[in-house]
Amino acid sequence: MAERVHIDLGDIQGDILRAYGNDYDCTSYAFVKIDCPPEQARAWFSGLLEHVTTAEPWKEGKPVTTLNVAVTADGLKALGVSDEVVGSFSEEFRAGMSERAVLLGDVGPSAPKSWESGLGSGDAHILLTINAQETADHEHALGKMRDAMDDAGGLSIVYQEDTQLLPGSREHFGYADGFAQPAIEGSSDSKARGGGVPLKNGAWRALAPGEFILGYPDEDTREDPKRRLPSAPLAPLGKSGTYMVWRKLYQDVARWRRVMRDAAKLYEDGDEHKLSAKVVGRWSDGTPLVTHPDALDPNFDAAGRGANDFRYDSDLDGMRCPLGAHIRRSNPRDALGFEGHLSFRHRMIRRGMPYGEELAEGVVKDDGVDRGLVFVCFQASIARQFEGVQVQWLNTGNLFGLGLDTDFILGDPGGKGKMTIQGRPPFFLSPQEVFVKTRGGEYLFVPGISALAALADGTAG
Amino acid sequence: MSSQDNVNGQAYGFQSMTPIEPGKEGELRAYLEGLDIDDSPFGKLPRTHMGRFVIVKDFYNDPSWGQKEEHLDLQYLIFTSNLDGDIDSYLDELCEVMAPEAREIWGRCVGCPENPKGAALKAYLKHNQIDCGFFYAAYGTATVPEVKAALRQRDQMIAFATRSQGLSPDELQEAFAAEFGA
Repeated sequence: MAERVHIDLGDIQGDILRAYGNDYDCTSYAFVKIDCPPEQARAWFSGLLEHVTTAEPWKEGKPVTTLNVAVTADGLKALGVSDEVVGSFSEEFRAGMSERAVLLGDVGPSAPKSWESGLGSGDAHILLTINAQETADHEHALGKMRDAMDDAGGLSIVYQEDTQLLPGSREHFGYADGFAQPAIEGSSDSKARGGGVPLKNGAWRALAPGEFILGYPDEDTREDPKRRLPSAPLAPLGKSGTYMVWRKLYQDVARWRRVMRDAAKLYEDGDEHKLSAKVVGRWSDGTPLVTHPDALDPNFDAAGRGANDFRYDSDLDGMRCPLGAHIRRSNPRDALGFEGHLSFRHRMIRRGMPYGEELAEGVVKDDGVDRGLVFVCFQASIARQFEGVQVQWLNTGNLFGLGLDTDFILGDPGGKGKMTIQGRPPFFLSPQEVFVKTRGGEYLFVPGISALAALADGTAG
Repeated sequence: MSSQDNVNGQAYGFQSMTPIEPGKEGELRAYLEGLDIDDSPFGKLPRTHMGRFVIVKDFYNDPSWGQKEEHLDLQYLIFTSNLDGDIDSYLDELCEVMAPEAREIWGRCVGCPENPKGAALKAYLKHNQIDCGFFYAAYGTATVPEVKAALRQRDQMIAFATRSQGLSPDELQEAFAAEFGA
C-alpha cells in the first residue's frame, strides 16, 4: 500500500473490527418493522444513536451493554432514503437474501417459504444487536428498547433471537468456533500470520481494510496511485459502513452424531473423533489437522497467535486435511495455488453466536429443541465474499476437483451426497444428510456513525 | 483465418456477434433470462457441449486509464457454442429445431431474415461469425455422449466404492463382478 491507512475507529460501529463475543455472553438480535411515516421513525432512530458503540477501544472498561444498528434495503426506504441513494447500494443487498435463495442453496427444507415469520418477508427493517454480560443487564436493555419503541409508536419487533455463548466458545456440533478471522491492515496487523494473505517467502501480510469497511482502499485499489476506492453507496452513507449477512442456521445435532457414529464403524478402527475432525478440518478444540493430522495438540490455544498459522502447500493431496474439509473449503488459503490470489478476495469477518440449549453429551435422539448458529458476517461485497464462498466453494466441488461433493456439514438436500476423505485407501463418508437448515436471514448494511446521524436527521439523501 | 482455427480435437467453437435492433434490447434480455436452464433449447441439439448468449451493452470506460472514451452505437448479442464435429450440419440442425427460439432471439437483431429459419438463418449466422483466435475446449477429443457416459460410470463407481467399504477382498471381487461384469 502506498501509504499506511489510518482507520477512523470513531466512525465505525463496534463488534465489526473486534468481536464483542469475547466480552459478552448474551447477544440479542431484534428485527424491527417500521409501520409509520419516515419522520416518526427517524425520531425514534435518533434516540438510539447515543447508545451505539463504536470501534474505539474502551478507555474506562467495557460498557454493561452495547447496541449496534443495521438496516435492510426496505429499512432504508422506510426511513425515507431516496430511491437514488438506495439504488447506489449493491444489487444483492437490494434484492435481499430470500431473493437469492436458489443461488445460495437455500432450497428444500431451507427454502424461504419455510423460514420463520418476520425473516425474508420484507418486514425486517432495522436490526438492533444488543450485547450484555449478565442476564439482568440484558433484560434491562431489552426492556428499554421495547419502551422506546412503544413510546414512538408504529414500530414492532417482527423477529427476535436471543443467543448465548456455549462453554469453550464452541458451536453445537462441539467445535471451537469463531477464532479464525481475517487480519486487517491498520486494525489487526499482528494476526497476519494465518489471518492474512500467504506470501511466497513464507511471510504473511494483512488484508486491506476496504475488503471489510467501505471508504478505504481494498485489495484491488491498494496499489492504485490514483487512490480510487471500491464502489460504495452514495455519500454520506458509504463511509465507514459495511455489509452484513445474518442467517439463522438450525443444527440437527442428534442426526449429526448418529451419522458420524455409524460411519466411523468402517473408518480407522471406529475413530469417530478423527472422522469428525476430517470433516471439519480441525480437532474439536481447534487444532488444525494440517499441522496435527493424528491427534489434537493438548497445548493448543485457540486465542494464541499460532492458532491459524498454517498453509496447505505441504498437503496439496489432502492426506492430512481433506480437500473437502469445511475450513479448507471456506478459506482455501494457498491450496488453490497462484500464491493465494484465488482466495484472498473472499474473506469475511465472522461474528456467529450459538442459540438454543445444548444437547447433552452422548444423546443421539433428537429432543425437538431448536438450536443452532446465528451466522453473522461483515464484508465490503456480499456477492464477492459471502456469496462467493457459499456458492463457489461450499455448494460446489469443481474448484477443488471434488466433482459434485458439497460441503458435508452444510448438508445435501438431495440425499445423494458423500465426502471423500483422502487416504490409503480413501474413505467415502456417507450418507450426507440434512444437518443444517436455514431458518431465515437478511442482508443488511451497518452504517458508520456519521451515516447513522444522517439517516436520523433525514440528510442521507 | 481458416475455419481450422475454430477446431480443438473434434470440437468446434462457434461464435457470432449481431447488433440488436434499437428498442428491442430489453425484450431480448427478458426472453433470454426467462429461458429454463433445466430445459434449455440446446437440449434439442445433442451435439452441444455448451451454448451461451451474452448481451454487450457498451464499452467500459474508466477515466483513470487516460484513454479516449468510446461507446457502441448499438448493443450486441454474442452467441457462442461448443459442439461436436462439423459446423455446417450443426447449424442446419440448429436452424430447424431451434427456429421458434431463433425468431425470439435473432429476430430482434439487425439484418436478421424475416423468417429466421433454415438456410436463410444459417447464412445470417455464418455471415456474422467471428473466428476464434484461440479455442479452448474442456475435452476436445470427447463427444457429448462420451462425456455423459463417463459421468455415469463415475457416479456408478463412486456409489459402488461407497457401499463396498469394509468388504473382504473376496466379497469385493464378487461385488465388483456383479456391478461391472467379470
